[in-house]
Amino acid sequence: MTLAIGDGANDVSMIQMADVGVGINGQEGGQAVMASDFSMGQFRFLVPLLLVHGHWNYQRMGYMILYNFYKNATFVLVLFWYVLYTSFTLTTAITEWSSLLYTVLYTSLPTIVVGILDKDLSKSTLLAYPKLYGSGQRNEKYNLNLFVLNMLEALWQSLVVFYIPYFAYRQSTIGMSSLGDLWALASVIVVNMQLAMDIIRWNWIIHVFVWGTIAATVICLFVIDSIWVLPGYGAIYHIMGQGLFWLLLLIIVVTAMVPHFAIKAFSEHFVPSDIQIGREIEKFEALNQCVYGPFIC
Amino acid sequence: GDPGLPSSAMYPLEMEGNSNPKTTNKPKYSKFTQQELPACKPLLTPEIVIAAFALIGALFVPIGLASLHASRQVVELVHRYDASCVPVDDKVGFIQNSRTDKTCTVTMTVPKYMKSPIHVYYLIDGFYQNHRRYVRSRSDKQLRYKSAAHLTSDCVPEGDTADHAPIVPCGLVAWSLFNDTYTVRVNGVVTQVNKKDIAWKSDKNNKFGKNIYPSNFQKGRLIGGATLNESIPLSEQEDLIVWMRTAALPTFRKLYGRIEKDINANDNVTVVIQNNYNTYSFGGSKALVLSTASWIGGKNNFIGIAYLTIGGLCLSLAMGFLVLYMVKRRNFGDPSNLSWNR
Repeated sequence: MTLAIGDGANDVSMIQMADVGVGINGQEGGQAVMASDFSMGQFRFLVPLLLVHGHWNYQRMGYMILYNFYKNATFVLVLFWYVLYTSFTLTTAITEWSSLLYTVLYTSLPTIVVGILDKDLSKSTLLAYPKLYGSGQRNEKYNLNLFVLNMLEALWQSLVVFYIPYFAYRQSTIGMSSLGDLWALASVIVVNMQLAMDIIRWNWIIHVFVWGTIAATVICLFVIDSIWVLPGYGAIYHIMGQGLFWLLLLIIVVTAMVPHFAIKAFSEHFVPSDIQIGREIEKFEALNQCVYGPFIC
Repeated sequence: GDPGLPSSAMYPLEMEGNSNPKTTNKPKYSKFTQQELPACKPLLTPEIVIAAFALIGALFVPIGLASLHASRQVVELVHRYDASCVPVDDKVGFIQNSRTDKTCTVTMTVPKYMKSPIHVYYLIDGFYQNHRRYVRSRSDKQLRYKSAAHLTSDCVPEGDTADHAPIVPCGLVAWSLFNDTYTVRVNGVVTQVNKKDIAWKSDKNNKFGKNIYPSNFQKGRLIGGATLNESIPLSEQEDLIVWMRTAALPTFRKLYGRIEKDINANDNVTVVIQNNYNTYSFGGSKALVLSTASWIGGKNNFIGIAYLTIGGLCLSLAMGFLVLYMVKRRNFGDPSNLSWNR
């Protein structure tokens, strides 16, 4: 990937040919700016553009793309496992309304908010250690290995979400809608917990959207199951009144998250990336200079 | 916020008095637009990792033991009767013949004291109530509103009679209603099985109409299951309501009724079954289940075993990480670990 920077009319063709073109708005007129992807007032602004914003964009985009594939894969795989038990007739495990709302409401907003606001390192750390920029050049946040790992996690989590209730309710009186509600709620909580574990910087907006989405999912499940004409009428009230439901929800969430947590704990301590060490440096220094108090900085 | 470098170091021109408020293009500062909202930055330290795994283990093992205990307390008698109740080889022919005597007697000995209410279920295997076409074959509007009786388009092939009169309730789900009956005797004494309140209250009150009566039901050439008493409204046809709550999996049980007396250990329970329902055509099976209830539902050791397994696994992970951290500890936040400094 190449970046070209220039300020004059003679730089226009170079800016257009490069992958990223930066134009300087200045004494030689505005042609360079009009042809560029980014424009700025001074050459030295290139430093924060690359080291700070370029780095943040790379980290956010890489994570968001991988996460989106993962969360949809988890959901679809849960539906797939159910097909094996419906005589292969494609009955949806989760009510059609919840399936629709999954991507639209249950899991979309936290993704967007984290993709906009999360950042792995602060501006000052990135400017103080310019070599941290190498993380993007080495494809550390978006590569085939990470994609495969994500898909394996989706596979594991879908198996946990599907089979734990399956074995618990296998010969019982459970109805399709009740079990579907458990699968829907468990899927949503699991993928949001995965996101929660990977969020690096928790500000109030992210808190509101992550926990608020789970609350919104519960509300939607109640609303859908209060419409008498739908087959799931009354199902959520019935199943939530059973102790088994809550026990299952707890064990599903924990079991699904154990591999991710263990891998994260292991890799962050024993094979840390430069970004990880940068985060620790920040926290170590920040604890000595914190303005808001020891826990929020 | 960030303990950042002072702005004059990066942008010396601002300090030279060039920032006339009318000509500057600098955007208005806000914590949100400059991405400087105060935030928690949690980091996984070894203490947190070990504590988390140990906590989960410490929580899950007792829950697992309690669940296993509750499951062991449940007394459950399961007796499969479809094979033994039809002694001839041509089972399908036997069951489809309306003139054969389908009475069958089954005896069970109760192993432990059973406290009332004792639930009586029928357990069916190999019946896919979750089949896509089957699930759709019903009309919920028709079940509730008299004026919607003609809305039978989803119920094909059990929507209308040959004379195009609507069947109430229409659809394959209602048509395949289970029709075996059980008469229970404990030590020779007939014990009543209470068949009231076996369906969900929400279904009885809001999904099945109080003024809807069955009509044209099971009158066709193919009989799928039980017939319905045409003078009882749908909201009181509890067997139908229970059956129409389609089961999630191909092996399922449904509530038949409750016995409201205790049964002592070593009592003889004799059940006279009218073996009417045809599960032979598709290779399914039927069983009778008597079960006590507990907070965990019926008898199922799975949840207890699952909790114990995950609890044990987390405790082992806590131990494993403890050993790893002691063997290979590194300093937290040490710049000498950065790849260009090593």
